[in-house]
Order: sequence, then structure tokens, then C-alpha cells
Amino acid sequence: MKARFAAMAAILVAAVVFAAMAGQDWASPQRLLRAMSGATDMESRLLLLWRLPRVAAAALVGALLGLGGAIFQGVFRNPLAEPYLLGASGGAAIGATIALLVPLGLPGGPSLAALSFAGAWGATWLVLAVSGLHGRPDTAGLLLAGVAVAAMLGALRSFLMLALSDDTVNLQVVLSWTLGGIQTPDLTGLLLLTALVAAGLALALWLAHGLDLLGLGDEQAFAFGLDPARFARRAVLIGAAIVAAAVAFGGLVAFVGLIAPHIARWWIGPRHRALMPASALIGAALVAICDGIARAILPPAEIPLGLVTALIGGPFFLLLLARRLKS
Amino acid sequence: MMRLECRELGARAGGTVLLDGVNLTFEAPALVGILGPNGAGKSTLLRCLAGYRRPDRGELLWGGRPLSSWTAAERGSVCGYCPQQFAPAWDYSVAEIVALGRDRNSVGARAVDETLREHGVEELSDRRWSQLSGGERARTMLAATLVTRPSLVLADEPGAALDMRHRLALLERLKRYAASALAVVVMHDIDLALRFCDRLVLLDGGRVVADEPASGLLHAPAFEAAFGLRLQAEQRRVDRDWVIGLG
Repeated sequence: MKARFAAMAAILVAAVVFAAMAGQDWASPQRLLRAMSGATDMESRLLLLWRLPRVAAAALVGALLGLGGAIFQGVFRNPLAEPYLLGASGGAAIGATIALLVPLGLPGGPSLAALSFAGAWGATWLVLAVSGLHGRPDTAGLLLAGVAVAAMLGALRSFLMLALSDDTVNLQVVLSWTLGGIQTPDLTGLLLLTALVAAGLALALWLAHGLDLLGLGDEQAFAFGLDPARFARRAVLIGAAIVAAAVAFGGLVAFVGLIAPHIARWWIGPRHRALMPASALIGAALVAICDGIARAILPPAEIPLGLVTALIGGPFFLLLLARRLKS
Repeated sequence: MMRLECRELGARAGGTVLLDGVNLTFEAPALVGILGPNGAGKSTLLRCLAGYRRPDRGELLWGGRPLSSWTAAERGSVCGYCPQQFAPAWDYSVAEIVALGRDRNSVGARAVDETLREHGVEELSDRRWSQLSGGERARTMLAATLVTRPSLVLADEPGAALDMRHRLALLERLKRYAASALAVVVMHDIDLALRFCDRLVLLDGGRVVADEPASGLLHAPAFEAAFGLRLQAEQRRVDRDWVIGLG
């Protein structure tokens, strides 16, 4: 197990190095080292102040997406459950849109966080209520409910943007969110994001044993001393908070929450205590790489991160879906 | 010692009456068999006894305390409930499933590998659930149920997927276990029930129609009525085992 985690950490380091090199101007490892050792030339300063924080933010958002995905799959007991596909990310985006475009007279940061969280939580419960939390909803029902909720929320978000489009200042931000994109954070933002990942990991680990039991099915989980309904409520709350944090910093990024726990499960098995940190590591590596590609593939333009993850993750999802429907 | 009581237990689903005024008291040590035709309410009764299903009517006591006042963790620590169906969402290994069962009360529990050996599944320890046969699965679940040495065992047709030899072995294990605990088991094999159980409860249409020491049940008129069959039972002289004939 230790060797596997070491391998994952090595992959993350390689991904971060790749992401730091990638961009409109590719930077060699030597140039990166020079920038990090305190050189004051223009290029070093640009790398240090713009590219490296961006790479760090991408990896941290990826870790949140991996954790959120692992919790969602655990609660729904379905390896195809994903915050983006199930509308939770869309719910968070609605909350963020409202916070940004509607003059609520509330302080910006806290109201954005609270509304994103409320949106993610509400959307998840809507999907749960439709597909049925108990007795394990079937894959098709779950995904259809999620797709419907996500489509509804997407339309609502577009409407809000059109209706409030006089406020052109914020519209650009909301638009880039829709397609997923990591903003380069300042130091405070980076520290906050790091703290959120640490808290998210701690909460996810706290859920690990209950998610293991829930995976046995409601009745068997009950037999082993868990109150399944109560636990699921708690897990959805934490999952929604993590998704909201990921959306607030990275927008709507599809499929990472699906792929990361999947690879983690292949690698280290289904027990959630190991699955959580593994999903976070793999999610971090994935988003760091995808964000690097997004910055480097069409210079001088930057394509939205969500396009990259959807183009890579979509086929992965379809493959898994085909295999599951066949069996 | 565990004591289980239910008074005027009633349960319904939609318009269908599943249980109708069930009064039963079980005391350890005993191996109690619950018999009855399909749809008699056996599984519903067991789910109510385990606390998984809240009865619509009546009262349930575990050790003299209303079951509703037991927390999920408290229940798990004294009870081993083995539901009829088990389909995990993830492909756990045998050792992982037994370890998850053990975590509900690790204080008095046996070690996982010791339990695996005891239940004859130690060579399957690292095998994944999807690679197990029906019999291996049943043995794994019994191991996970008994690993904490619960004073109350509730099992819903634990031998349904087993061949004759393993079914016999399973009941022998339960019988031994019930020498110092209370085990209530839903069964279909009348001959095995007669051979192993101390007491048999016969359900029909959600009601208790007979509640007798094992050998007494065969002579209860309700027995043939419940199954809609004529049964002939004979006790062999060699080992006093029952031979059941359908007449």
C-alpha cells in the first residue's frame, strides 16, 4: 500500500512539473528552478507570481474534485455517480451566479460560499429525492435524474445571466466559470484553498468507515451498526460542501470526480480510508495536467479547463457506462 | 443473557397486512426456527426483531428495553443480523467484509483471521466478493455476523444458497453457537429445523399459528394447513433424526 501511495505522489510531482513547464511559453526545468530560487528577472517573476500559483490552485481544485467524487460515489453506491453529472456542481454554480450578479447587499466572499454550498446541497437532494436514496437507486435512474437537474440548473443559470447582463463587469467571470477555469489566486486565496483541501480530506476520512459500511447495502450496513439514512444525510452535506469549494475556485469541471476515484479504486481497492487520499492525489495530478494543456494547446489563447476534462473524461465515462450496462 | 419480546406486533405495506398481532418471547440460550410458507411474514418479522423495519403497531423489547431506545451502534454491538439479500456495491475481499463486521464491536471480538479459519474461509481471505460462489458468500456473511460474538443472532435463510453438506455444517455451527446465545433463524428445510431447533414458530398470513418445541410442531394441525400439504414424519431409530415424507 505504501509503495502505491509513493507512486501516486510521484505521479503528482511529475504532473505538477509538467504543468509548471506548460504554457504559451514553455519553461524548461532549469528556468523553473531559477525562478524558485529567487531570481529577479522578468521571466522568473512571471513564473513565480502567475504560473506557479495557478498550477498549485489547479492541483488543489483537483484534490477537492477527487474527494467530492469519492464521497458521491460512496453515498450513491455507484461508480458512475459524479458531482458534475448529478447536478451538484451546477447547483453550486447557480449559487455562485446569484451571489455575483444579484445585488443582495451581502459581503461578497461569504455569500458566494454560502450560496454555492446551498446550491450544491439542494441539487443533490433533488436528485436523491427523485431517484430514491434507499435500496440503492439504479444507474439509469440516477443518471437521468442527474442529467435533468443539471439541464434545468444550466438553463436557469443562462437565464439569470441574460436577465442581469447589464452588470457586464461580472458576466465575464460567470461565463468562464460555466466552462471551468482555474483563476490565478493571490496568496490569501491559495492559503484558503489549501486549508479547504486539508479540511475536506479530514472530513472525507471521517466518513470513510461509514461509506465502507454503506457500500454493503442499507440492510447490511444497519446490521453492522450504522444508521444508513442518518449517515447518508451527513455525507451528502459534506460532499456538497467540498463540491461547492471546488466550483468556487475552479468552476464547472466535468468528469474529474468520476475518473479520480475510479483509478484510485483500481489501484488500492474499495476501502474508503485509502480511497480518499488516493482520489485526492490522482484528482490533483489530473487537473494539473489538464490545466497545463488548457494553457498550452492553442497559444496565445487559453482554452477552458472544462473542455479538456470533458474531452478526456467523456470517452472514459462512456466506456464505463457501456461496460456497466452490459453486465 | 439475551431476552427478546414482541407484543401485538403489526406491520403492513400498502394495503397488505404483513404481520398481524404477533406475540413472542425468546430467551437465550436457544436456537429458534421461524417456519412458514412464502409470504407468511417471516422476513418482515425478522426485520422488525432486528430493528431494521419499524413495526406499524405493537412493542418490541430487547433485554427489557424498548428497541427504539437502542442506538444503531448499540444494536450492532450485541446483535448479529444476517439479512436474506446481500449485494455489496464495491468488490470487497472476504477479509475486508469480516473486518467491517468486526468493527461494530471490536472489544469482545475474535481476530479476523481466527474467525476466517473457524468458518472455513481462510484460504479465501483475499478473494473478492465477485469471485465467490454462493456457498462461500454465505459462509463469509456468517463469519462477519458472528465475529463479534453477539449475544443475539438473527439470520434470514442463511443456508438458502448452500448445498446439503454445507447447509448441515452451517446449522451445526449455529446450534453450537446457540448453546450460549439466542439465535432466531428463518428456515425453509423442515427436516433440518426439526433436527436442530429447540423451538419452532410457524407463521401463516402474518400470524403465529403454532409455537412449539421442535418435535411438537409436526402434530400441530396448523402445520399441514399452513403449507397446504400432507406431511408424514418418521423418527429414525438410529439417530432420532426426522425423515419427512410428502403424502
